[in-house]
Amino acid sequence: MRLPAARPPSPAADVLVALQGVGKDYPKVTAGGDRLRTLWGLLARRADIPHFRALQGIDLRIRRGESLGLVGENGAGKSTLLKIIAGVVKPSAGTVQVRGRIGALLELGSGFHPEYTGRENIFLAAALMGLSRRETMERVGDIVSFADIGAHIDEPIKHYSSGMAVRLGFAVATALTPEILITDEVLAVGDESFQKKCIRWLERFLGDGGTLLLCSHSMYHVQTLCSRALWLHAGAARLEGDSFDVTREYLAFHEEKGRAGAQAPRPAQGLTPFVRDMRLERADGTPAEAVAAGEELVVQGLAWSPDGRPPALLFGIVRADGTPVYGAHSHDRGFVATGAGEGHFAFAIRFPGLMLLPGKYLVRLHVLDPEGLRLFDTQERGISVTGRTRDYGLVQLAHEWTEGSLRPSGPQAS
Amino acid sequence: MPATVYTHRWLLASFLRRELGTRYAGSVSGAAWALLNPLALLALYAFVFTMVFRVRLPVDSGGASYTAFAAVALWPWIMFSEGVVRGMGCIQDNGGLIRKVAFPHALLVYAAVLSSFAVHLVGYVAVLAVLAALGEPVHLFRLPLVLAYLVPLALAAVGVAAALAALQTLLKDVEQVVSIGLTVVFYCTPILYPLSFVPESLRSWAAINPLASVVERLREVLLQGAGLLPADLWLWLAALVVWWAGLRFFERLSPHFEDFL
Repeated sequence: MRLPAARPPSPAADVLVALQGVGKDYPKVTAGGDRLRTLWGLLARRADIPHFRALQGIDLRIRRGESLGLVGENGAGKSTLLKIIAGVVKPSAGTVQVRGRIGALLELGSGFHPEYTGRENIFLAAALMGLSRRETMERVGDIVSFADIGAHIDEPIKHYSSGMAVRLGFAVATALTPEILITDEVLAVGDESFQKKCIRWLERFLGDGGTLLLCSHSMYHVQTLCSRALWLHAGAARLEGDSFDVTREYLAFHEEKGRAGAQAPRPAQGLTPFVRDMRLERADGTPAEAVAAGEELVVQGLAWSPDGRPPALLFGIVRADGTPVYGAHSHDRGFVATGAGEGHFAFAIRFPGLMLLPGKYLVRLHVLDPEGLRLFDTQERGISVTGRTRDYGLVQLAHEWTEGSLRPSGPQAS
Repeated sequence: MPATVYTHRWLLASFLRRELGTRYAGSVSGAAWALLNPLALLALYAFVFTMVFRVRLPVDSGGASYTAFAAVALWPWIMFSEGVVRGMGCIQDNGGLIRKVAFPHALLVYAAVLSSFAVHLVGYVAVLAVLAALGEPVHLFRLPLVLAYLVPLALAAVGVAAALAALQTLLKDVEQVVSIGLTVVFYCTPILYPLSFVPESLRSWAAINPLASVVERLREVLLQGAGLLPADLWLWLAALVVWWAGLRFFERLSPHFEDFL
């Protein structure tokens, strides 16, 4: 599945990273005999080494000025792919071509020596990135002020918090002004203000024509910093395209996984009303984790009430960021849920044409006492609405454009 | 391969600084251990071989005492063996770096070996100066010639260490074998005894050992004031072959280090 790229392709000469059919097998080495066999296999350049496959069949092209986000579950091969591009790992299959100076931030404090002070480590890290001692001297001031960790710069790295080490690492990487910057989940560690600083720096870097490869579990970062995204799943590319489309599909996938776990009805508990089960379905009764704008959506609910009286119900839809979209009360519609045995009450809310704008939403069900005075339980399910539109806001309101009836009557303006 | 070293000289310098710095960081007397350690060994050997075994040096050894005789050979051996041991472990020790940063791994081996040679070269010069001051027939003005033997020794150490480091990364047993192997080599090399002590029938075998030649030549130069010989070119050739072969082996396996660390 391949969605159209957001940007028009630039000339082929500007391709900085080109991967073709790249795969990586890690040797399985547990027993001593395996190690000997592996050693022999490597020396004789044979392929029959016991291995497990971390990555396979990756084709990727990154052009100058592009920013690619890498998303995927833990163990999907994101870090392996980044390491292959950074030159740390040699691929077992396929070809890798990289042009341009790479700055790679793989994991926290890569290349720092714990016994050494931050300042001494700046020199080592800069040397690892290819800077001479004099070039480093010229930039130490900038690095120290960007890292902004105060007097800690002259303390051994082993006394640093992980956040401080990342600040220093990022500061060194920025001082090098690489053509391609590779970062692996490093934004997640810094505090709020440092994250903002990094993002500002990255935005300026991208604005100046820099090329970014970002691996992150924060879809927000991927969406704001990257034009394209690649979703890796179990070592293979699952989806590549516009970062918004890819992240949305990826989130929908997780929603589905979460649902698979939460699918089972909850056990009875306590003596207050609660939502026993909740499902989002399409018109034909199939589970819905993503619906197209304008499609029908049915919210199925099962509530339990201790005294056998039907509870009052309330539903609400909010956007993923918490902005309320719409909500309504069963009392106001005169609806009473029908008994389903043993104090259970089944109900459904049907949205014939759900005119939400594309994005991620949460559907919430609330159970109140029969009088509708006290709220007892809330359940929610996520839903992605798909579609392409340039409309603004949360919902599409029915409207049509027609000829106007206003005429310039009364006092003339001129 | 020398080109790699040159383009990454800043990184090599950085690694070297780190090697030298961490070596004695945290110990009280710091760099003094670099000298004290071999001195203690020398004292022990001198005691055992002059008081217990009563070794008598052959007449042609230039009138040096046993202590001077052993010291001239002991320091180069310590440079070599320590360089090999440190170089062998450097890939393992820097696993964190190798897994995260792309750089020529051989630089770590160079840094480990060179730091050992640098540290003990200082000790060597100091000990030779002291021996000369004590009246031993040490030809101090011959000292620059020593480099003609120590440079190939260092090249060979890089080659051996690189091959062992690559093996060690894949097979953890290498370390154990090497510690025994080095002890064997130490006693097979005429460091504590003159080559003439070796029985006639075995002497031609002992002479094959290039380390034996290095040690013997160093004695001739430093204790008897001899000059360089054309035959020393063979030592250079042997060292270059070991260096080249060891690094070839290392480079073959080095792309896979990350898989095993």
